[in-house]
Amino acid sequence: MAQFRPGRDVMVVGVGLHAFGRFPEQNLSDLARDAVVDALRDSGVPWSAIPVAYFGHVYYQGMSIGETTLAQLGLTGVPIINVENACSSGSTAFWQAYWGITSGVFDLALAFGAEKVPSGPVTVTAENSPARYIGGDHMMAGYALRMKRYMEETGAPASALAQVSVKARHAASMNPYAHRKETYSVEDVLNSRLIADPLTLYQCCPTSEGGAAAVLCAADALDTYGVDRSRAIRVAAAALTSGNYNGRGSDHSAFSPYRTEPAALQAYEMAGIGPEDVDIAQVHDAATIGELQQIEALHLTPFGEAWRATEEGRTALGGDIPVNTDGGLLAMGHPFGASGIRMVHETVTQLRGEAGPRQVENARVGVAQCSGAGDVTTVHILTR
Amino acid sequence: MFVSVDEKCLRLTDDSGERGVLLGMRCRQCGVHVFGPATFCQSCTSSDLESVELAQQGTLFSYTIVRVPPPGWPGQVPYVLGEVELPEGPHVLAEVIDCDHDALRVGMSVTLALQPVEMEGVANSERVVYKWRPG
Repeated sequence: MAQFRPGRDVMVVGVGLHAFGRFPEQNLSDLARDAVVDALRDSGVPWSAIPVAYFGHVYYQGMSIGETTLAQLGLTGVPIINVENACSSGSTAFWQAYWGITSGVFDLALAFGAEKVPSGPVTVTAENSPARYIGGDHMMAGYALRMKRYMEETGAPASALAQVSVKARHAASMNPYAHRKETYSVEDVLNSRLIADPLTLYQCCPTSEGGAAAVLCAADALDTYGVDRSRAIRVAAAALTSGNYNGRGSDHSAFSPYRTEPAALQAYEMAGIGPEDVDIAQVHDAATIGELQQIEALHLTPFGEAWRATEEGRTALGGDIPVNTDGGLLAMGHPFGASGIRMVHETVTQLRGEAGPRQVENARVGVAQCSGAGDVTTVHILTR
Repeated sequence: MFVSVDEKCLRLTDDSGERGVLLGMRCRQCGVHVFGPATFCQSCTSSDLESVELAQQGTLFSYTIVRVPPPGWPGQVPYVLGEVELPEGPHVLAEVIDCDHDALRVGMSVTLALQPVEMEGVANSERVVYKWRPG
């Protein structure tokens, strides 16, 4: 268990997004800048007051993209840190922003992320790696291995997994920022092209472009910066873990005590709450199976039962534990550096009661869980 | 002259390109095995490790039939990707060859199979790759 000692309470005081999708006319900096401007405007805090910024991204071939992006807002000389932590790059930037404030070093911090993910299967190794000969470096094939194993152990039918994607599209149909807004049926999902059995195309998140940003502020400094207290959302926990020994090396098991769960337990302990207190959750649904495994690792259902909760509509809008209320990775799309902060954006929007047709009534506690290669997991708990 | 795809994971034992052993490390402190090279034990962090040869046979922990291959995949499509559990503990991901897709089962026995593989249009790119075969 990690040793941590949070200090000051930290609030999210502004969130912003650049829509997710494909934007050939815009470069990475454009996507990131638009999200930052949106978040700063939402917070009411001027860029000139921000003392530190963390930028999550993966693919950019070059240096100091965070610096060149923020230079467009004016050169203020503050530290800007570029963060690469695979699909959790954005949420890791948010985690750093939280710790920068709670530790007492900064009153304010900006976390932002953006990505332009190329089309096609996602791999994690270098081009000349032996993995290219072996055929195992394939993100969705990895999810397919997990899915096969999960279905084998729990008896979950393919239709229950497909329902995860149907649910995602339904939520996204009410979200103007989503990459994929058209709804479809379980049959449509199951009949879509096979990528890696039993995973079909509509059960895989699209590769996308987009940006997201959040402004954080110490709770004791809200008045100093003229922040609207009624819209500030507390960060009750910020946990980040990497891989732990599981005895296997490659592990696509149905239930792993070393994936997500350690960060979840840390976050619950830090927030002083349990999974029964969670009203909404945004989880890492890069593939349908991912959502079920994350729900279980967060203890929102017992292990092996998230598929049933999904079938029963419990994880949909209107259910008792709505999951991925903005469409998740499956329908929002997955620009790596932005996704983790996009989850914070949706959580904050819901807890503020500003989610419009997607609004979950009386949502007071929200969890945002993001995974990445290297068995990275972030779990943030936000409360109203 | 055949060359292993990764000499720290697969040692060829003769010049046929068909025979070899998977390599791993065993921790003398806690007994844990890992597939491939290691300087420190992933479980207990000890540096007291020894090289070992891993079993030739394992069981299929999970599998998928990959229809859309990763970039640069030099083999046929579709192909079966298997996660194989070795008796020593480690799981090894590799292609499962010579198999009837409908006969694949989680838990079935598979045996190490080596094949030379070449990257299309790349000179001197032939490597012997470890795969699995039912049996």
